Amino acid sequence: MKLNTHMQVTRISGEVWEIAPSEKAGMLVPARIYAVPEILESMDAGVFEQVTNVACLPGIRRYALCMPDGHWGYGFPIGGVAAFDVRSGVISPGGVGYDVNCGMRLIRTDLTHEEVRPHLGQLMTELFRRVPAGVGASGFVKLDRAALEQVMTGGARWCIEQGFGWHRDLECLEEQGCLVGADPSKVSDRAVSRGINQLGTLGSGNHYLEVQVVSQDRVFDRDRAAAWGIHGRDQVVVMVHCGSRGFGHQVASDYLKVFEKAMRRYGISVKDQQLACAPFQSAEGQDYFAAMNCAANTAFANRQVITHQIRESFAAVFGKPAEALGMEVVYDVAHNIAKVERYPEGELVVHRKGATRALGPGCADLPLRYRATGQPVICGGSMETGSYLLAGTEGAMRDTFASTMHGAGRMMSRTQAKRMIRGEQLQQQMQQQSIVVKAVSMSGLAEEAGFAYKNISDVVASVDRAGITKVVAELRPIGNIKG
Amino acid sequence: MAHTFRFLDDIAMADLAFEAGGESLQDVFQGATDALIHAMADPQTVGTAWQQVIEREEEDPASLLFDWLSDLVYWKDAAGVVFHRSEVRLAQRKDGSWSLHGAVYGEQVKVAKQELRADIKGVTKHLYRLAREGDGWTVRVVLDV
Repeated sequence: MKLNTHMQVTRISGEVWEIAPSEKAGMLVPARIYAVPEILESMDAGVFEQVTNVACLPGIRRYALCMPDGHWGYGFPIGGVAAFDVRSGVISPGGVGYDVNCGMRLIRTDLTHEEVRPHLGQLMTELFRRVPAGVGASGFVKLDRAALEQVMTGGARWCIEQGFGWHRDLECLEEQGCLVGADPSKVSDRAVSRGINQLGTLGSGNHYLEVQVVSQDRVFDRDRAAAWGIHGRDQVVVMVHCGSRGFGHQVASDYLKVFEKAMRRYGISVKDQQLACAPFQSAEGQDYFAAMNCAANTAFANRQVITHQIRESFAAVFGKPAEALGMEVVYDVAHNIAKVERYPEGELVVHRKGATRALGPGCADLPLRYRATGQPVICGGSMETGSYLLAGTEGAMRDTFASTMHGAGRMMSRTQAKRMIRGEQLQQQMQQQSIVVKAVSMSGLAEEAGFAYKNISDVVASVDRAGITKVVAELRPIGNIKG
Repeated sequence: MAHTFRFLDDIAMADLAFEAGGESLQDVFQGATDALIHAMADPQTVGTAWQQVIEREEEDPASLLFDWLSDLVYWKDAAGVVFHRSEVRLAQRKDGSWSLHGAVYGEQVKVAKQELRADIKGVTKHLYRLAREGDGWTVRVVLDV
C-alpha cells in the first residue's frame, strides 16, 4: 500500500491505523486514523503531518485521532479529534476551526417525493428567498447588542422564546442547543459587528441547505430509522449545514492572536502556528472557552432560525402548517467544537474539528426517545452524491471519545475543482440528474462538485466496519441551495 | 509598482491558498490584498461607493500584513461589502516597527450585479510565510473558506 507519508503506519485492526510516537519528535501519544485501505491510500500528506502534530500538544490523552473523511486543514486536520486533560491540558482554537459549531441539522417531513416533485422548483425558490446565502448576506432577525448577547447565552432556546421553532425541537439538539459557560464579556466588539446581521444565514463554501429523499431500499436499519421518524417511503427530508458565521470566525481570529502571545508566557511550543493553544485552566484558555461557547450558541440559534424559515417555506408552498407536514427536527449536531466531557480518565476537553459526537445507546445525555437507539449522526456528502444518517455506538464511546466522521471529505482543492468545471455547467448537469440547484456564486458552486470529494460510501463503510457508528439510512439530494 | 498573485492548487484543499509576489515589500502587500479581493468577488463587477481607511502598526511586516488582510475580512462582514481595489502605503519607523496606511474601496453586496465568490472566514497562519526571495518579496497565505 502506498501512503502519502514517510512515517510508518501500522494496522491495528481492520480499519484502525496507528503512527507510533517514535515517528515524530515530540509526540506524546500515538496518532490513530480510521479508514478502509482505499480511503487511507487517498489521504493527502497533510493528514499524516497534522494528526501527528496534534499528538505533540500538552496534556493530550490516549491518541490523536483522524476520521476517514480526514484531509488537510490548518492546525488540526479536518476530521481530527483530540482530548486533553482539564487540569494539565490545553485548549486550541485550531482544534475547533474558524467556524465554531459548524454543524448539521436534519428535519423530517411526512411528504413523499411524488408529492414534492411537482412543486420542487417553487419550493427551492421559496427556500432560496427565505434563507439568505453567500457573501454579505444578512438575516431577517434584527438584533441589537443586548439581543445578540441573549443569543450568545441562550442559543436555540432564545429562538424558541421568540417564536422561531417549537419547544420540543430543543430535546433533539446536541446539548439542547445551548452550551453552558458562555460569557459575552469575553467576546470582542469586532465579533459582534461581524455577526449582528447574520442570524439565519447560510454562508458559503461547503455550507448548504438540501432537500433530500429517503427511499426504502436505502434504509439499512429500519428500527432505528423508525424511532427517528424516518419511514423511508420516498420520504422528503431537509438537511442544513452551517455554523456561527462571521461571529464565530472573529472569535477564532481574536483568540488565535491571544494564544500566540500566551504560548510564550506558558512556555508552549507547537509545530504549526495554527495549533496555538493555552492551558485550559489559564485565564486565556477560560476566556476562549467562554467566547467559543457564545459562538457555539449563536450557531445553534442560526440553525434554529433557518429551521423556522424552512418550515415557513414548506407551509407556504404546500398550503399546510409545518406541524401538519410532520416537520420535526430529527437531530442537530456540532462538528467543530471543544467540550468538556467525562471519560474513564476523568474530565477531558474534547476537540472535534470536522468530526461528530456519536453517543451510543443508553447514554444519559440523549433524549429519552433516542436512548435505546444511540444518537443520530448526520453526515453530509457532496451535493451530487448524497448524505448519510448514522447511529452512535458504544464502540465510539470506548475508542474515539464518542466521535465519528462528519462528511465525505475533500480530495481535490477548490482551485483545481474550478479548473475542471464551471458552475453553470455543474448546475446543468445536476438539473439533468433531477437535482434543482440554486446558488449565489457560480464559482463557489463549481468548487463543490461531487468529484472534489471522496466517495462517501467508502467513508461511511470505514466507520461502520470499525464499529464507531452504524449506518442507518442514505439520503439522496433533489434540491440544493448554496452560498 | 509590480506585483502578482496566483491561487495554489495543492495546499489546504478545503480552504484557499495563494502566493503573492512583488518587487518591494509594499508591492507584495498590494499583491496579497488583490488576491484576497479576487477571492471574495470579481472586482470588475464591484463599484466603489463604500470606502474605509485603515491604519495599522506592528513590530514586523508579516504581522502587519496578516492584520491588514484580517481587517478586510472583518469589514466584508461588518459592512456587508465586497471590494473593488485598495491602496496600501507602508513605512518603517525609527524604532524599527512598521506602519500601514490603507484605503479600501468597494460596495454593498448586490447579488444581481456582482460576481460573488468565496465568503472568507479568516486569514490563517497555517504555512503563512512572508520572505525576501531573489530581488523581491513573496508571501503565502491560506484563507479559511
